[in-house]
Amino acid sequence: MKPFLAFFGRRRRERELDDEIAAHLAMAIADRVARGETERDAQIAARRELGNEALVKETTRAQWGWGSLERFGQDVRYGLRLLKRSPGFTAVAVLTLALGVGANTAILSVVNAILLRPLDYASPDRLVVLLHRGRNPVAPGNYLDWKARSRSFASMGAAENWSANLTSGDVPEKLPAMRMTADILPMLGARPRLGRAFLPADDAAGRDHVILITDGLWKRRFAADPDVVGKAVTLNGESYAVLGVMPPGFQFAPFWHTDAEVWAPLDLRARASNREGSSLRVFGRLKDGVSLEAARQEIAAVTAALEREYPGTNRDVRVTGLQEMVVGDVRPALLVLLGAVGLVLLIACANVANMLLARSSARRREIALRAAIGASRGRMVRQILTESLVLAAAGGAAGVALGAWALELLLAFAPASIPRLSDVRLDARILLATFAVALATGVAFGLAPALQASSVGLHEALKDGGSSGASREGGRLRRVFVAAEFAIALVLLVGAGLMVRSFVALRRIDPGFDPRGVVSMEVSVAGTRQAEPGRRKVLYPEILERFAAIPGVKAAGAINHVPIAGDIWGFPYTVEGRPRPAPGQSPVAAYRAVLPGYFATMRLPILRGRDVAATDTAGAPGVVLVNDFLARRIWPGEDALGKRIAVDGPDDAPVWLTVIGVVKNAVQNDWSAPPDDEIYLALLQREQLTDSSGPQAAYVTYVVRTDGDPAALVPALRAAVWRIDRTLPISQVLTMPDVVAQANARARFQTLLLAVFAGVAALLAAVGIYGVMSYVVSRRAREIGLRMALGAHPRDVVRLVVGQGMAMALAGAAAGLAAAFLARRLMSGVLYGVGPSDPLTYGVVAALLLAIGLAASYLPARRAARLDPMAALRAD
Amino acid sequence: MVDRTPYQNPIELLQGTLDLLVLQTLTWGPRHGYGIAGAIRAGSNEALQVDTGSLYPALHRLEREGAVGAEWKTSENNQRVKIYRLTPQGRRKLTQERTRWERLMQAMSGVLDAPRAPVTDEA
Repeated sequence: MKPFLAFFGRRRRERELDDEIAAHLAMAIADRVARGETERDAQIAARRELGNEALVKETTRAQWGWGSLERFGQDVRYGLRLLKRSPGFTAVAVLTLALGVGANTAILSVVNAILLRPLDYASPDRLVVLLHRGRNPVAPGNYLDWKARSRSFASMGAAENWSANLTSGDVPEKLPAMRMTADILPMLGARPRLGRAFLPADDAAGRDHVILITDGLWKRRFAADPDVVGKAVTLNGESYAVLGVMPPGFQFAPFWHTDAEVWAPLDLRARASNREGSSLRVFGRLKDGVSLEAARQEIAAVTAALEREYPGTNRDVRVTGLQEMVVGDVRPALLVLLGAVGLVLLIACANVANMLLARSSARRREIALRAAIGASRGRMVRQILTESLVLAAAGGAAGVALGAWALELLLAFAPASIPRLSDVRLDARILLATFAVALATGVAFGLAPALQASSVGLHEALKDGGSSGASREGGRLRRVFVAAEFAIALVLLVGAGLMVRSFVALRRIDPGFDPRGVVSMEVSVAGTRQAEPGRRKVLYPEILERFAAIPGVKAAGAINHVPIAGDIWGFPYTVEGRPRPAPGQSPVAAYRAVLPGYFATMRLPILRGRDVAATDTAGAPGVVLVNDFLARRIWPGEDALGKRIAVDGPDDAPVWLTVIGVVKNAVQNDWSAPPDDEIYLALLQREQLTDSSGPQAAYVTYVVRTDGDPAALVPALRAAVWRIDRTLPISQVLTMPDVVAQANARARFQTLLLAVFAGVAALLAAVGIYGVMSYVVSRRAREIGLRMALGAHPRDVVRLVVGQGMAMALAGAAAGLAAAFLARRLMSGVLYGVGPSDPLTYGVVAALLLAIGLAASYLPARRAARLDPMAALRAD
Repeated sequence: MVDRTPYQNPIELLQGTLDLLVLQTLTWGPRHGYGIAGAIRAGSNEALQVDTGSLYPALHRLEREGAVGAEWKTSENNQRVKIYRLTPQGRRKLTQERTRWERLMQAMSGVLDAPRAPVTDEA
């Protein structure tokens, strides 16, 4: 503390010394005047007596001693002065570090929030998810058996997708909702902020009409009413009591159905032996002392036994950590980005190190001279180190500011589909860590030149004028640094190039339909008058007619789930005339049901046959359209038209549907997934879609095509629906172009980020080569002048300088190509449609980087060629 | 620096004696730098001149060592002046310095006043 205070007290002490000497002088003058001297004589005599005032003060100050911190302050001031004197050097070095540190701060913040920070539940590392093939839902019978037969779990619970049409209140609204067993909330360690959680007794028919709601919904729909607990709301036409309000920020589930705002109890007793209707996501908390591996083994044994009892029902059940479940599929991309950012930081550090090395050898003479007039070696090392630290601190501070800004930019551009994005914020520890990296860079790369510089002999330094022969070793080190920068930049550019190629390939995917000009919206009937049997068959076509009558509407159709944005249901089917597969072995097709006009509206071509018609009703023969993929797979070389399939459960007598059309393959849910079996039923023909009270019959999605902006149609579409029935909730209003853009958003975002980093890396490498070659040219000005005076052509000089620069670039590029090739595996997880060792990318990127290297070394070469030989020789 | 000596018979102060003089002066009461210089001059009948270039470094060094304390006061003609005073530590230092000085004096005069014959054992 003491030197610290002394440091800040110094200014005060300087002022006091001034006062003390002034007082001395004043008293001396006063005495002399009192003795009879004139004012003027007294002043002159007193001053003479005092002597050299500056020297008096100087020797007095010398008695105060220097605290280490004061010396540090002095060095900092000196460092700042030097940096101010060469603004170009300072700006480039600070900017370089800022880029490295800033990018690191931003990306690290994202990685920390998404990958590293544990989920917001109690001991989240003990939470697991049990799903078929690690992602598919589970049937109630299986869940109940797992729960009963396993010993590894402290608790196990299940949740099911639900949707709740809120019809009490001003605007009907379809709320994303979920049903969950009473085990779930205690398992998460979550408690409502108001009211109570579910009890096991709530999982019972008659008692399950209670809900928990999010804090957000409470504020939005209930005006944050503190007495909300116990109030009744109408969901899907039935009365539910609000049981409690969850705390702000509570989210469940974290990886699926993440926007749920309402939770209700899940009563499974009626379905306890159902092993077909897979709709549950199963969650568990591992018992203390039980490892994930042990739980996996136990579940493998349990499911193997169940599979023997109920063949085809318990295949490939995986136990996955909840956190892994949430972030697993973004991890490869984030790690690639993190690697990229680390490499950019490395380049930035190499550049700054290079600049410091170059500067220190340029200052050999100054340093030697200072050593000669008595500066100690330690003192000079300290001082050069302080300069680097000042530089690193400035760069670090700028980088932190840049990082905060970059993070905001990142979040603004990031697709919403990235999990936990809302948790991302600038973390103080990350700020500190990246700042520390900047400082460490300053120390590490400041130290070498400092030691090197301080060991320079005066004689030698003064003799050679710090010119050509100076520090051959430093020169080699600099060239190695630049080559390394090129290698790293090349690796990054290869990565970015591959991402760009992959992104182009993604963009070229034909979704099968034409998204332009199409808007989709979901209309729910659950809980309204329209849910009565028979009503939907009338309502659905009536809405289509109203839509078609709206000016600007070119076509309208409807489907249960639109591709990409909508849900996807798989359904086993059987083919007429083929042996019946063993239970659980039936092929599964994506199950869609359409109203007439869907294919025309989407411009999804019917390759052969016809669309469903208004006459394909419940009484008429069953019809189905299949996609081209299914048609070719099941009936290769035959015409699928007229063939029959059944989609009803294996226990029922098959209801045969005749194939009336073959439809072009369309993208289903995953944009880049290869085509899979897909069938389209006539929705109005399926009573379970028009007259049942199940969730599959609760809503339908309309698609409308226009020539203009599809979003502009939305108010007219809503009005048309509400003119029929003001209580119908309308949700999921989306334009298809947005849906397609969203499907590619993650790839676009990753590509953009990696491209930016690669660009920065290439820029920094160019700065590096430019810096070194400029330095070489200025150091060798005399030699170059001599060559030119002896008849060398400017062209020769250019060749000499560019040759040296390109030697570094080539060596670096070669090393980079090898490194990129060796590291190609890292990229394969994030690429589509291009191999990680794509020769075209490697070639183009190498050529590009070498061109950059050429340009960056040509500039100093041209300066060298324009040197006036006489001036160059006379200088120094 | 000073090309004309302001006093009649100036005596160069011996190395190390300034501290002693300053501390001794302060035993008569706290005073400022100018006052200390005046007291030494007066006490030596104008024979000892204290150069400001030596006085202030000495005062600041003694202050840092803790031998003197200092505080700021405002003089009658409204001048801010720094008043030095002796600390207990300074008093001890004065005793030491004084002893050292007296032994030096004895030794010096022993040599200077010695008879021609070398001193005998019992002297």
